[in-house]
Amino acid sequence: MAVSETDLQALVGHRFPGGTYRIAHWENALLTEATGSRPLPGDLAHPVHLFHVPIAGAGVTIAELFALAHADSDASVTIDYYDWEVSKPLRESTTYLMRGGITEHSRKCIEAGPVVDSVTFRIEVMDESADEVARVTFRWNFWRFAS
Amino acid sequence: MKVEVGARIPSWGLERVTPERMKTVAAILRDPNPIHWDRQFATERGLKGRLVNQSPINLGYIANMLMEWAGPACIRRLRVEFPAPVFDGDGVTAGGEVTAVFSEGRSRLARCAVWLDRSDGSRAVEGWAVVELPDCGPISSTADSHGVQASDQ
Repeated sequence: MAVSETDLQALVGHRFPGGTYRIAHWENALLTEATGSRPLPGDLAHPVHLFHVPIAGAGVTIAELFALAHADSDASVTIDYYDWEVSKPLRESTTYLMRGGITEHSRKCIEAGPVVDSVTFRIEVMDESADEVARVTFRWNFWRFAS
Repeated sequence: MKVEVGARIPSWGLERVTPERMKTVAAILRDPNPIHWDRQFATERGLKGRLVNQSPINLGYIANMLMEWAGPACIRRLRVEFPAPVFDGDGVTAGGEVTAVFSEGRSRLARCAVWLDRSDGSRAVEGWAVVELPDCGPISSTADSHGVQASDQ
């Protein structure tokens, strides 16, 4: 375990670059189908987009979030919770603005087992009028096993 | 649509989670975790070669249930945890129950306990949701402006 608790605490307050995202029709069609849902009417996008759209729109990738928290490997990260607050449904071909960052970190040591670092991310999704569309908060657990 | 506290939301199910869909999702999400698409890796991780379904898709099944019930733009909040993974080949069933009905501005909302169960009966997702109800008639229960009743606290 090379990363210290102090290093991770220093991530609290880290801000992502921010940016924009437009959900393409093909992307909505494929992801909606992958959930087993029938196509949604009109230009409505499936709510499952609230996972990757905020991350990508904030200017980061899942791999970069793993690296930021010093994940031991891509498979050493588990989900603690998701909290999606939705003011307006997402729609295809609409430009969304994102801003967000890291809001919390805590470390838990499991007796005779691994250390788990829980990192909380929060991203706000806005439309071009700067009206809030959604706010997503998610906490991932980064498992550190002794080598 | 009349909604009462204690009402069960019609369940939504998928007979079998498939690896093909996981691969599509991994590509769209740009999710590098090989437990979603590399069966050899899943074997080496002690998962008996079974791929792990992406957590957002497990949450998506719950969203499907809510949208089938209250409409495709109904979801106002979803807050869930993931006590167990879903593997390829599993069947899943999303369920829910209304715990409060309340008003916010001109909208009528329902707070619901929601979950996703695997075909072996184990719970893969659990949490709560707030959905905006279509024309639902008179409100049959009261709660505060966030839909929180004493039993939720």
